[in-house]
Amino acid sequence: MTLTIQKEVPSILIITALLCMLCVYAGNKIKKADPYEKPTGIVFAGLWFVEWADGLVASTVRPSYVERFGPYIGSLTMYLLCANLSGLFGFNAPTMNLSVTLTLALITWVLIQAAAFKTNGVLGYFKALFEPLPFLAIGNIAGKFSPLISLSMRLFGNILSGSILMTLIYAATNALSEAILGWVGFDFNVFGVVIAPVFHAYFDVFAGFIQMYIFISLTMAFVANELGDE
Amino acid sequence: MDIGRGLVAIAAAIAVFTGFSTGFGEGMVGSKAVESVGKNPEAIDKIRTMMILGDGISETCAIYGLLIALILIFLFA
Repeated sequence: MTLTIQKEVPSILIITALLCMLCVYAGNKIKKADPYEKPTGIVFAGLWFVEWADGLVASTVRPSYVERFGPYIGSLTMYLLCANLSGLFGFNAPTMNLSVTLTLALITWVLIQAAAFKTNGVLGYFKALFEPLPFLAIGNIAGKFSPLISLSMRLFGNILSGSILMTLIYAATNALSEAILGWVGFDFNVFGVVIAPVFHAYFDVFAGFIQMYIFISLTMAFVANELGDE
Repeated sequence: MDIGRGLVAIAAAIAVFTGFSTGFGEGMVGSKAVESVGKNPEAIDKIRTMMILGDGISETCAIYGLLIALILIFLFA
């Protein structure tokens, strides 16, 4: 058996290490901060971010779940944002690897099932599978697993197709500038410099940001749906 | 040219045809958003967020088709 290292692994490790260092640094700063003074710099940014995540959970799931659920949403936001935007800095985006998105979707899926167990109880959970009619159980069981597939494939497909399209655009502009300017001996991808940034703005920045927001919104919506009314 | 490559190209074209329904659905999202801004102009910030979210979710269908088409082309053609 040979051990192959996938091309996304270095960027996964680098991004994880950088985020860990940032969080430890910000945590130390916040611990030492004087509560009677105005927060500045990274302390302010950290406080703002935590309040933003908590507010999102309080308005979407329910206010009593802020302490349990807020940290997961916050860290998901931070990781997905860095991962999706890392394509801009020449990394292979970690979300181009299905293992990464499947892991994140699996965590969300376990949370959804835990919320369902908590609301219905173990017996009620399995009873609900046969709910309208007994033979519909197959459809219900498939429906339990569908968020796992759809959440992971949505993120993976968006980022991967964006990266493939960027590769195609670079190849096309390279061929174009070679065909037009090649005969002068000018070996430089002139059209790529002009055309590519527009597509980078869409496929990397816009799509990455939107997919991050969709992932966390769907996580919260699924969990809130399973929790039901108060 | 063998016929297999042509068949793969047709398969990729059929897969990418999912964009048809997605375009229709996103147009509906946009038209409803415009309508609701006309009815309730002060809610424009909330409507914009919801519209982009709906667009992103319905876009997924087209992305699946595009992904399958690209995989077909790169793996089999």
